[in-house]
Amino acid sequence: MDKHSPPTPTDVDEHDAGRAKPRHPLQKLYAAFESPGRRRALHLTILAILIVTPWISSQYTTVILTNALLYVVLCLGLNVVVGYAGLLDLGYAAFFAVGAYTVGILTQQFGVNFWAAIPFALMAAALAGVIIGGPTLRLRSDYLAIVTLGFGEIVRFTARNLEITGGASGLSHIPEPSLFGWHIDSSIDFYYVFVVLAVLAYIASQRLFDSRLGRAWLYVRHDEDAAEAMGINRVATKLAAYVTGAIFGAIGGIFFSVNLGAISPESFSFQQSVLILLAVVLGGMGKIPGVILGAFIVVLGPELLRDFGTLRLLIFAVLLLLIMLFRPSGIWPEKRS
Amino acid sequence: MNKFLKLVTATTVLSLAAGSMAMAQEGPIVIGVQAPTTGSEATYGKDMFNAISLAADEINADGGLLDGRQIELISGDTACDPQQSVNAASRLASQEVVGVVGGYCSGATQPTLKTYGDANIPFVIVAANSTQLIPANPGNAVMINSTGDDQAKTALDFFEGKGIEKLAIVNQGDAYSQDLANLTRDAWTGAGHTVSAFEYVNKGEQDFSALVNKIRGSGAEAVFWTAYYADGGLLIRQLRQRGFQGTIAVGDGSNSPELFNIAGKAAEGVFAFSNPTADFLPAAKQFASDYQSKFGNAPGPYAPLAYDGMQLMAWAIDKAGSTDGDAIIKALNSADGQEWLAGPISFTPQHTLARSNFVVLEGQGGKWTRYEK
Amino acid sequence: MTWYDSFLQQLVDGLVLGSFYALVALGYTMVFGVIKLLNFAHGDLYMTGAFAGFGGLSLVSGFLGAGWLGIFVAMLLAMLAVGCLGVVIERVAYHPMLGAPRLSILITALAVSLVLQNAALALTGGQYTAFSTDLGFGGISLGNLFLSYNQIVLVAAAAVLMIALELFVSKTLYGRAMRAVSIDKDMCRMMGINVSAVIAVTFFIGSGLAAAAGTMAGAYYGSIWYFMGFLIGLKAFTAAVIGGIGSITGAMLGGLILGLLESFGTHIPFIGSEWKDVFTFSILILVLVFKPTGLLGKSEVERM
Repeated sequence: MDKHSPPTPTDVDEHDAGRAKPRHPLQKLYAAFESPGRRRALHLTILAILIVTPWISSQYTTVILTNALLYVVLCLGLNVVVGYAGLLDLGYAAFFAVGAYTVGILTQQFGVNFWAAIPFALMAAALAGVIIGGPTLRLRSDYLAIVTLGFGEIVRFTARNLEITGGASGLSHIPEPSLFGWHIDSSIDFYYVFVVLAVLAYIASQRLFDSRLGRAWLYVRHDEDAAEAMGINRVATKLAAYVTGAIFGAIGGIFFSVNLGAISPESFSFQQSVLILLAVVLGGMGKIPGVILGAFIVVLGPELLRDFGTLRLLIFAVLLLLIMLFRPSGIWPEKRS
Repeated sequence: MNKFLKLVTATTVLSLAAGSMAMAQEGPIVIGVQAPTTGSEATYGKDMFNAISLAADEINADGGLLDGRQIELISGDTACDPQQSVNAASRLASQEVVGVVGGYCSGATQPTLKTYGDANIPFVIVAANSTQLIPANPGNAVMINSTGDDQAKTALDFFEGKGIEKLAIVNQGDAYSQDLANLTRDAWTGAGHTVSAFEYVNKGEQDFSALVNKIRGSGAEAVFWTAYYADGGLLIRQLRQRGFQGTIAVGDGSNSPELFNIAGKAAEGVFAFSNPTADFLPAAKQFASDYQSKFGNAPGPYAPLAYDGMQLMAWAIDKAGSTDGDAIIKALNSADGQEWLAGPISFTPQHTLARSNFVVLEGQGGKWTRYEK
Repeated sequence: MTWYDSFLQQLVDGLVLGSFYALVALGYTMVFGVIKLLNFAHGDLYMTGAFAGFGGLSLVSGFLGAGWLGIFVAMLLAMLAVGCLGVVIERVAYHPMLGAPRLSILITALAVSLVLQNAALALTGGQYTAFSTDLGFGGISLGNLFLSYNQIVLVAAAAVLMIALELFVSKTLYGRAMRAVSIDKDMCRMMGINVSAVIAVTFFIGSGLAAAAGTMAGAYYGSIWYFMGFLIGLKAFTAAVIGGIGSITGAMLGGLILGLLESFGTHIPFIGSEWKDVFTFSILILVLVFKPTGLLGKSEVERM
């Protein structure tokens, strides 16, 4: 993009950082959570709420929270690609599908133990990350969008056409896993599994953000040429982003498949990819708490509007539009410069 | 004073609670409707919801169930997505519905079987008919739509009767139509005939010209469309526009009067396999006209089944004499030929429909008529 | 049918399909040109255009009939209405976002798409609407090659619209301003060009073309529904990228290529209709690997 194009995330970040004090009331609120002491308290509170919730609420709440936590994992993964490395991805559901199908095929058709199948699923996803990352490294973001979209559609059509993936009906009777004698099968069991996954994804995201690689992503996002001049391997850095994102997505998919017990191509559509991207941008690209907030909004929003019947998505879309108009950089934007 | 206020509040709360408990005993009977009312399948989901509400209204007008209790419906929108349908099912379960009627996309219906099974909620599956649902059923669900096997057999007999040798099969890449297409292909080649083209179209695609050319080029004498009426109507139109003279038949997903609106003249002489719904029973005629006047369009392919599903649920609740899940499930499975619009209902030990009486319909004068060989 | 006839028939059918893709892709590419936005709501403007055309036809069919004349007038009405809708959408949803990160505008466009789709769902009750016209099935047979009159009129109409657009962009003052704005907005402002007005005109034309395609598709295929914009939106986006997004000639070329790929893909053994889309997307990816800016796109240095 040339220098006269509309400001990129980078420009806006710098703009925000240039302000003396956070002026917006929301920014004040967010800033209140930034101090390390409060942060720990907040973490503990959230963890406590997550642990007790299933015992004091209905099964419905547990189920939709499980769903939201799955989205937290997926969104944090996409956030690595989009938020950290600045690469647009419209086919993220492909990685989600690769994880889910690898585990589904291995456990259900070949009788492999669930835990033994996980490394294979992760390898398959990493490979998919390299395959999708490879041809896109030279592309501008808009072309990246269509290549990733195309890749996502290729994966979905392949799943629909092949026999081993069960065709359009998909795979069913994927066995539920056991862990040290704990048979994971009730909705509360899966809820806790996803709590653990979301917490791990959160910690991993934070670590990646602070790591050498995280800074390399930042440089590449801001200025590829300058980054390369400083000795950052552009190709390896970008590929690392795709592979990391792919692994997050695959982990989501792996546990998604055993949670539902059945998977079919319609779970991995373009709309799914778009929804995940929507959550990331809505919450605030690159900002971990923002992304988590976004994940909760896209899952809980349409659920809370169920009483409106057919109109629920219309109302949700209008709300989305309003949020974007009032918070153009996302609800809780990233400010690191 | 403060004490007095507390006392008053406590009494009010108590009496309200007692009131609502009494209400729960005599209040409405809440039935969940599981259907996609948003997303790309909303056309069919809304059809089902409309038909179910029509049945509920009729039952309520006749004095309701269990000594005058009215039926109240809650929508459980699945958007045809497995995740969302589990959400919807859990919500219905949390709202303590007495039973659930619906189920359109097999893929989205399957994971909900466990949800309802765990909550012991009776579930009448009206449209979804994948054979994969059978082993996933914990015993609380019954399927009132025939499975693909029955229809593939009907198709085989029909095309053989027409003296066809080369058949083209077209599906839409979703679980239902792909399943039916595969079953028909296996039956057709198994009987020693040729499948000259086995094709896919994407939902929402409008231009089938390349496909039509391919079918014509393959020398097919007949075309079997296994998916729904909307895209089927377009395909039929384009087949006839391009001079395809052979036999065209469509599966039960295309059995809707709306097919004639979309395909126009081209739908004349098209055959459809269907449950014997039909506009032949007086009750069905009444249903079609009530539906048309209430919702402004003709009932879709699964509307009669959805109507029957609601009626069956109501019949079972009445027979059980209570809203107890076990009693209703027992009553559902005891159905022995109850009949509303789509033929008599009784179940196999696997809780699937115990009959296969697909009939062949023919499009004549802008509506479906019974086809006799 | 010989392979030669079959080849010609595929060519003709691919071109007809490609004209639809091209018309819709033009809107994508024009909007991208001036504000660098992938307008995900564009497919839904096509859908809205089809319904507007349907409404227009029922207004005018009383005195103009539902033949070509009636459809033509209905199409103009639909173009006008949807063109205005496009301008309103730009004003309400995109204009306030021009300073925001580009992905944010993308998400706004997605929200607009959801609004249009679900509004149409609510208004039509999800039903398919039959778009009935008086058009016949007739056509010309050249040996084994068949061309319906409808196809001929359709391709001609699409060609006229595209030529008109090309002339508008290359010859008129507004067209020149449009090209200038796509190169450098700030400089345009300094030169006294009313950038907002140019953007509005761009949206008007892009949306109008989508409406034209929607009305023609409705009349040609015979039925319309609330979700019809989704798939074609995706395909037109693909077409615009193959041609080189931002390039008007590229969009036309991309549309035609995509139409031909789909048409021929159906006939290639081992691909067929089952793998047709995998084939198309694979070709797309290959094109971009070897020509990262699309066939006719210009390369730019980008910083995201």
